[in-house]
Amino acid sequence: MANNDELQRCVNILRQGGLIVAPSDTVYGLVCDATNENAVKKLIAVKNRPWGKPISVFTDGFEMIDSLTDTSQHSAILRALLPGPFTVILPSRNKVCHLLESERNTLGIRLPNYGWIQDLVHAYGRPLTATSANISGKAPHYEAEGFMNELSEAKRKLIDMVIDKGKLPRNKPSTIVDLSGDSLQLLRQGDILPLTEYSYTSNSALETKKLGSYIAEKYTSLHTEKPVVFIVEGEMGAGKTVFAQGMGRYFGVENIISPTYVVYYEYITKHNSIKTFLHADLYNIENVDEFSHLGLEDYLKKGTVMCVEWGNKIGPLFDLIKKTAHVIPVEISYKTESIRLITIKEIKE
Amino acid sequence: MIILSIDTSCDETAAAVTSGRKILSNVIYSQVLLHKKWGGVVPSLAKRAHEERIDSVINRALKSANINIKKIDAIAVTQGPGLAIALGVGINKAMELALQYKKPLLGINHLEGHLYSAFAQNKKGNPKKNIAFPYLGMIISGGHTEFVLWKNHLEYELLGMTLDDAAGEALDKAGKLLGLGYPAGSVVERLAEQVGNVDEYKFPRPMIRSGDLNFSFAGLKTSFYYFLKTISEEEKNKRISYLASAFQEAVFDTILIKTEKAMKQTGISNLVVGGGVTANKYLRKKMRALTRKYKGAVHFPSMKVLTGDNAAMIGVAAWKKAERGLFSGTVDRQPRMQISSLAIEEKML
Repeated sequence: MANNDELQRCVNILRQGGLIVAPSDTVYGLVCDATNENAVKKLIAVKNRPWGKPISVFTDGFEMIDSLTDTSQHSAILRALLPGPFTVILPSRNKVCHLLESERNTLGIRLPNYGWIQDLVHAYGRPLTATSANISGKAPHYEAEGFMNELSEAKRKLIDMVIDKGKLPRNKPSTIVDLSGDSLQLLRQGDILPLTEYSYTSNSALETKKLGSYIAEKYTSLHTEKPVVFIVEGEMGAGKTVFAQGMGRYFGVENIISPTYVVYYEYITKHNSIKTFLHADLYNIENVDEFSHLGLEDYLKKGTVMCVEWGNKIGPLFDLIKKTAHVIPVEISYKTESIRLITIKEIKE
Repeated sequence: MIILSIDTSCDETAAAVTSGRKILSNVIYSQVLLHKKWGGVVPSLAKRAHEERIDSVINRALKSANINIKKIDAIAVTQGPGLAIALGVGINKAMELALQYKKPLLGINHLEGHLYSAFAQNKKGNPKKNIAFPYLGMIISGGHTEFVLWKNHLEYELLGMTLDDAAGEALDKAGKLLGLGYPAGSVVERLAEQVGNVDEYKFPRPMIRSGDLNFSFAGLKTSFYYFLKTISEEEKNKRISYLASAFQEAVFDTILIKTEKAMKQTGISNLVVGGGVTANKYLRKKMRALTRKYKGAVHFPSMKVLTGDNAAMIGVAAWKKAERGLFSGTVDRQPRMQISSLAIEEKML
């Protein structure tokens, strides 16, 4: 619970269009008045967020949610999900800054089960932005200090206050549920489904790429102590290189092409903790004896992420890799000619 | 200025001695025969082979140019793009020799070498082709497919490139799917020629409406793969020349459409085209016809040995850099090095 003095100072800053780094039920967030366009613009600048990407808002209860969005279609589901670690997408009533809404005129709503945020929104009486405190494309932060260190001097000056509640429990970012259409759609899976095998459906190459970024982010932020090796299997043309391009994008590597000709390419990333991204393609390898001299094991160091296509050929190296790295098998399979099923199998340690 | 050059970017161990754009010697220890056994470039094999052969290749290059290493003015080496561990062998050797004999060192982009191949001359200074910038440069090989605006010596601007597989890789993979071994590009050419380069299957021409100068051959490979699944093994064998021809036509037609677009966009009708795929006579014929239509000319590597990877082209590319004294103390390998004038501009400041 927030003390009154702290809450009052926050309210004053929000009134003046200020920016606050605040803890939440998931990760540290960047908070400002969601109805103040200047404040929102400042927030987008700090995050380096591309214009046109929607940002969800924190609310303090169903009354506020009803005033901001049209909930008539899905009232029951909404009450089952909230409060909780969900972002619910609903048709917007255009009461917040338009920069937060999507092109489809929808708005993402958060009602967290987290006293401090609820108290702040209640005290302020207006919705607040609910976006993770991180630079776009980089991992979110569980410590306020980590985020502040990531910012340049100039950007740090744009932050008016930091509410440091220490290290937050490692809850994943919220699960995004789209209720703007007729049926429920899961857009991003957070911490709620304790499965050991996750399956995602991709309807296009672009979606496969996005899943690549998402999976790179998810598993490299989970396993920071060891190198992470993604072993990607799938028939020719299933989209393995596209998936690898998505992973590369998360680490700031944009120029990934097929490494078939040279077997692997090594990329230096723009990421803070992952320095090397190695993209290998074992398509041309036919003789398993050669694996003991492949040179890939030299890359099995902390701070390296490997994405190995045609990983089913890695057989003899698998035990060695498993000893030193965290291995994530990924399977890309055809459902139809354009739809792919991407399955991540987590190996229990 | 006499330059000893080294290239170990992929599967060839190569060294040469050049003077300006004249080639005094050019030694390539091809590993292609060895690789046939494995159906591709195996990194450890490549590294081990490079290490085993590099000294003798350099010695033969010096001997054949009839020059003592002490009389060399500079040492040039490929720093990228290519296979990391293979590049490392050439770079280490170049740095070792530079230190031992106190010679200035030059790091060269392999792609620059492919472009300069068009203007390389033999010992006697033939062919006496004038260089008249600007050119629309293209590299078409097993590892690359790129458009470069070649404004002047050392001044390049990347206009477009493949987003996944290279053109030569697509041809090699199609050949492999037809059971033609590796590398299959030249076999595909011969089969296509047998049937008069007809196109009876009309595979897709990828990205021709993309509006940019990028390529994508992964999808074409996928449709070929799926098409082969629909026909019997017997039919495949019976129609192998027609299949090879149609696939090659899809690749070349795409290249030609994009080239014409690049010519219109840049207003440049003089082409310089390098890389292994330029060994294909049918492609050369098509490109000559295209440039004739725009009253331009196309320049291919001036000798057959310069189409594939070699060190003489690295020496010729180093010519202007050496004249301007753009030496470096050390050379870092850059496996995904891109062609640009940036590195030179930085050094000029």
